[in-house]
Amino acid sequence: MRILLVEDDTALQASLTGILRDAGYAVDVSGDGIEGLFFGEEYPIDLAIIDLGLPGMSGLELIRSLRKQERDFPILILTARSEWQDKVEGLESGADDYLTKPFHPEELKARVGALLRRSAGRAQPLVELGPLTIDLVSQRVFRGEEEIELTTYEYKVFEYLLMHPDEVVTKTVLSEHIYEEDADRDSNVIEVFIGRLRKKIDPGGELNPVETLRGRGYRLNTPPESA
Amino acid sequence: MRAERTHTKPFSLRLRLLILVVFLLVISLGMVGFALDAAFQRSNEAGLQARMESLVYLVLAATEVDADGSLQVEDDPGDPRLGQPGSSIYAVVDQGGQRWVSPSSLGTDLPALGVVEPGTSVFATPLEARRFYILQYGVSWELADGSMHPLTVSILVRPREIRQEKNAFRLGLWRSLGATALVLVVAQLVILMLGLRPLRRITQDISAIESGELERLEGNYASELEPLKRNLNRLLDTEKANQTRYRNALDSLAHSLKTPLSVIRSSLPADTSAKSDVVQNAVSDMQRLVATRLQRGAITTRSSIAQAVDVRHQVKRLVQSLERVYSQDLINIECNIEPGLAFYGEQRDLLELAGNLLDNACKYGDGQVRLTARSINPAAPRAGFTLQVEDNGPGIPEQEHEQLLKRGVRGDERVDGHGLGLAIVLEIISAYNGDIHIGASDLGGALVSVSLKP
Repeated sequence: MRILLVEDDTALQASLTGILRDAGYAVDVSGDGIEGLFFGEEYPIDLAIIDLGLPGMSGLELIRSLRKQERDFPILILTARSEWQDKVEGLESGADDYLTKPFHPEELKARVGALLRRSAGRAQPLVELGPLTIDLVSQRVFRGEEEIELTTYEYKVFEYLLMHPDEVVTKTVLSEHIYEEDADRDSNVIEVFIGRLRKKIDPGGELNPVETLRGRGYRLNTPPESA
Repeated sequence: MRAERTHTKPFSLRLRLLILVVFLLVISLGMVGFALDAAFQRSNEAGLQARMESLVYLVLAATEVDADGSLQVEDDPGDPRLGQPGSSIYAVVDQGGQRWVSPSSLGTDLPALGVVEPGTSVFATPLEARRFYILQYGVSWELADGSMHPLTVSILVRPREIRQEKNAFRLGLWRSLGATALVLVVAQLVILMLGLRPLRRITQDISAIESGELERLEGNYASELEPLKRNLNRLLDTEKANQTRYRNALDSLAHSLKTPLSVIRSSLPADTSAKSDVVQNAVSDMQRLVATRLQRGAITTRSSIAQAVDVRHQVKRLVQSLERVYSQDLINIECNIEPGLAFYGEQRDLLELAGNLLDNACKYGDGQVRLTARSINPAAPRAGFTLQVEDNGPGIPEQEHEQLLKRGVRGDERVDGHGLGLAIVLEIISAYNGDIHIGASDLGGALVSVSLKP
């Protein structure tokens, strides 16, 4: 999942970037509204965290511009203005949630996770996929009672597919959403991650949750009984 | 004494002008009165003197000095008053030790009279010792033999008659002067009333500013008051600018403190060691203080210009926002708002008040929230309204109500949960002189009722 963080305070920017990366997100960072708008328009962003008090272009204007261009990823407002007037204006401009400073990093992670799940149509943090249970909050995968250990990138790939069930996802899209813009991408690596992921979650090969569509990409097939 | 005087309230302008005018009237009309009185007196006396002179000639015409030098005067010189005793007009003729006294002086003590040089006349007004007007006329009587006999004719008049005339004149004079004074005072009152009307208007406008009906002095006042209007408006502008600057300074201080607080928070290690807990709690306290004291503190200076804010519209905005934020929690917010209900104050404060109450209800309720707003007195639109927010959560235990409603309680002393939102609500209520009441809702949870009276 790829997150755009637009925050002008460099200290907060750095610490939030660290927290989000530790949580397994790819993070694009911008320090002003105009650059933030460019990132939001050009990059395949899954969620944006936008500070309202930005230089260049205010956070509200940035959100309105993004929404006008039909960029409909969830937006979390980060604001020092805790008054309802500002919250209401922010939400009316097109944001989905707000977080007032100072906030707990845990709160931020919880809000980001909830917004991502909400936008994928998953209200519950627990996803069941046949015998598998995926906890999107703690980012753990279980088969029955037994936990399956996934590396960060394996989980990132799996999570993205879970958020887009029954959709064809190309290797390019996958790499765009798990890597940041300036990362050195190699689509072969995606194949490697998918291969390892399949082995871990479906060692017997009878489930085949992640289907390869040759030349097109991958698709996570949800069994009819799962939510 | 002096200090006391500086403390006494100065007279009103009207009283001050009135006293001065009355003072001036008394002095000027008094002077006019005295002058008229003196002039009348003088002309009266001059008239008397002329009449006395004609009596002198009458008496002289009736006077005869014989060749032997004896004085002969006819007892009726031609004026009946001289012949009638007690008529208050008397004539005396002295000639070389001989004296003739008119019959009118019968029974009257005449004062001692001197002799006047022939060819001269002396007029004397009444004195303490002789209460008569006296005109003496000296004549030299020449007999056929050529001898000259000095002769003095004196006419005496009691001042009774002239005093009566004087009194009648004075009475008339003072009456007309008094009437003039009365008319002038009444005219002065009317002038004051008309003249001070612009002042009264500006006073009314200033109190309208105080009560928030006007923002500045906009009317056309008398040209003398224009500088006052200008200065007052300038003062109001400066005051407003200062208030805005003060508010903005506090506001930006509040906001700029929050980013470093966020940095502190997000730089703490994620583990829950005691040390990081201490820092977290301190940051929480600072956050509460910033939100309640700094930010709200600036707004306790209530703007005097209260505009009507549509309660229903603002609550609708809040509900839409909250539904967006709590979209995954399936919250049902039911609103019963009297149509046309208006809040006279800052829109920001209404949003903050209702927003915090609704947010608490969404957070601590179990999906069911009800907001009711109705005016206290539907007949008087500015009478204020009550805003009631209920939820179906666990409610607030009664023993915590008092603690929750204590203003200025430190963050760590405040009951958790409804705490911060309510702290802000309390700040707003105290700025608007409102009331708050916590109770139990028939939905099963907490009921918070706020009434605001402008």
